[in-house]
Amino acid sequence: MTARLQELYRYRELLENLVVRDLKVRYKHSVLGFLWSLVNPLLLMIVFTIVFTFMLPNMTIPKFPVFVLTALLPWNFFNTAVMSATNSIVQNGHLVKKVYFPREILPISTVFSNFANFLLALPVLFLLILLFRVPLTSALLYLPLIMVVQIAFTIGIALILATLNVFYRDTAVIMEVVMQAWFFLTPVFYPADVLPVTKMILGLEVPLRRLTYILNPMASIIASYRSVLYGFTDGSPPTAPGFDFFSRTIVTSLLCLVVGYLVFTRYSHRFGEEV
Amino acid sequence: MAIIEVAHVSKCFHLEPDRPRSLQELVVGKFSRKPHPSGSKLFWALKDVSFQVNAGETLGIIGSNGTGKSTCLKLLARIIEPTQGTIRVDGRVSALLELGAGFHPELTGRENVFLNGSVLGMSRREMAHRFDAIVAFAELEQFIDIPVKFYSSGMYVRLAFATAINVRPDILLVDEVLAVGDQSFQDKCLERINALKQRGVTIILVSHSLDAIRNLSERALWMDEGIVQEDGVSDMVVARYLQYVHDQDEAAALATRDAERAAAPGKVATAQLATATAPAVASETVAIGDATESNGRSKHKPAQNTAGGNGDPHSDPRSDAHEEKPTAQPPAQEQPTVDPDDPMGQYRNRWGSREAEILDVRFLDQKNQERLALTTGERVTVAIRYYAHQRIEQPMFGLAIHRSDGLQINGPNNILAKYDIPYIEGEGEVHYTLDVLPLLEGTYYLTAALYDTAGTHAYDHHALMYRFRVYRGNVEERYGTVYLPARWQHVHPVIVEDART
Repeated sequence: MTARLQELYRYRELLENLVVRDLKVRYKHSVLGFLWSLVNPLLLMIVFTIVFTFMLPNMTIPKFPVFVLTALLPWNFFNTAVMSATNSIVQNGHLVKKVYFPREILPISTVFSNFANFLLALPVLFLLILLFRVPLTSALLYLPLIMVVQIAFTIGIALILATLNVFYRDTAVIMEVVMQAWFFLTPVFYPADVLPVTKMILGLEVPLRRLTYILNPMASIIASYRSVLYGFTDGSPPTAPGFDFFSRTIVTSLLCLVVGYLVFTRYSHRFGEEV
Repeated sequence: MAIIEVAHVSKCFHLEPDRPRSLQELVVGKFSRKPHPSGSKLFWALKDVSFQVNAGETLGIIGSNGTGKSTCLKLLARIIEPTQGTIRVDGRVSALLELGAGFHPELTGRENVFLNGSVLGMSRREMAHRFDAIVAFAELEQFIDIPVKFYSSGMYVRLAFATAINVRPDILLVDEVLAVGDQSFQDKCLERINALKQRGVTIILVSHSLDAIRNLSERALWMDEGIVQEDGVSDMVVARYLQYVHDQDEAAALATRDAERAAAPGKVATAQLATATAPAVASETVAIGDATESNGRSKHKPAQNTAGGNGDPHSDPRSDAHEEKPTAQPPAQEQPTVDPDDPMGQYRNRWGSREAEILDVRFLDQKNQERLALTTGERVTVAIRYYAHQRIEQPMFGLAIHRSDGLQINGPNNILAKYDIPYIEGEGEVHYTLDVLPLLEGTYYLTAALYDTAGTHAYDHHALMYRFRVYRGNVEERYGTVYLPARWQHVHPVIVEDART
């Protein structure tokens, strides 16, 4: 196991080069370059703003565009990273079949290249934050840590799905639907506070809000982003995420990473003949 | 010291045509009543293969297609893992299994070199160090900063090869990728591989080019059906392999010929009647036969009738099989397409008055065994069997060997050779023996003919009717068409002076 990790470390330049390749190829021939990757979240932000401030005005959330974009950008990173990582091994089959290198580099590199896109989109978010006069507080120092946690979680998921997709090609198709559902189940365009604390389902009292966070690490991660960048829907300024809450999120994400890596390494030796 | 150790390695591939490739198929499969095909096909690409390679050694792997050579390399490159057994490889492996596998068309040559370098496990600094050498080797100085999608395929492959070969591996695996670029680039590649060899790089080479194997590696491994047939000095292993291929070809060729003969028994019967029975019946049969025959054949009709009148019936299926050959020709003549295995087939022809006939021609080796595949340098006898329906005084037997493009190589006959055959009558055989077959590897055609003494009247002329192959034997020469026995001598200037004084 340690040998594998050492090998992965030795190939770090390949990881770097693959990320650079992804970015270069993506932006090489478009005039607007990476601006295109902003179009989608910005458009969604506008749509949600219109829907929730004009069409469903009874849910009043202050500085709604900032509220939505703080969640949309991380979600977008997660979504694109997972989708492209799922295909990464199969898509690079020509490489996998002809050259040896630690295969985990492929899904990991797609996660990082999408992370780079996420970073490139952040200035727009900060512009919006300044525009809406959301105070910048020391809670912002948590931002890099939250990103690391999200990357760990995303890589974990990416490794599992990339493996699955080698053996069952419709994983990618199914994931499109799953990601859509996941998006709606994650408090992106609505605050988690609107969820009832408990709800009677089939005669059982279900702690719905807690369950959302427990079952969905993305909900916790996005809540953390929101907490340090936007604050709260009652208008209180950004604060550091609660210690208990945040440490649980970290543990979950690391667990996901470890499980993902184990699953991947368990099957990766068969990729050469299965791709 | 063994740098590579392969111990009792077997590799099994599951060949399941209906393996569920999607979740849907998997679910449907689970619920369907049909039991899972328990006998899913297993294919053992390698069976208990063991060998070691020492540091600095060059090993060539040879064998026919599908015998496990590439599987072997893939295992060494760690692209796939063995089903059983262990493989130990110490050192950096660079595998040239496919050139430019990691190239991205949108990136420039420069970017791709660095990317490919890191795929092969090189650091950016190491690559920067070698970059100029790579570009110079690929001869792409002017084009290195344009995307490789604009490269010609030759440029692409050159850059890929230059990158792969310049990563200074400890172990280089090469799978049949030496045949890239033009001749001068190929020479450069071989030179570079030789240079790596000099530097102590361990090289494992899979190739169908036995020359490349013989030239580059001292040791060769012959794989057949997943097992190591032979492991030893490359010259010896290659020779054994050639012998094996040769024997197989021989057996296949003889089998096809026998099958052809067996397939035409009816025609043999009519032909036999035509040549051997009463004139009335014969003419009738020939007439029927002629409807399907070439013009060349009909020329001899009257002669055949006379022959039938006084000749003894002979019943050799072989001769008749040959007689059938021209019959099969006309359709081929109408088609302009040329069979690559039989380029001169359309010129095959037979004519003559047939007072005497050539029944068949066989090639005999030194043990008087019939052969269709010969080897350069061996003793070969061309045996021309004839049947003379009447006594012919001092006949002239001749033959000619043609290269597959039609070039005539020789054309001897017994009159020129001052070998007197007083007369022929009935059945007999004329032998033309070459103590050292001088033909180099290739396909050749033999013409056999029987004329009168002056060489003006053709009794029977079989133009290009006998095709045979020659394989390379112990003779090392391989350029051109023929091997001319000769001696080399280095005449030292001192000796010349001595001679003058």
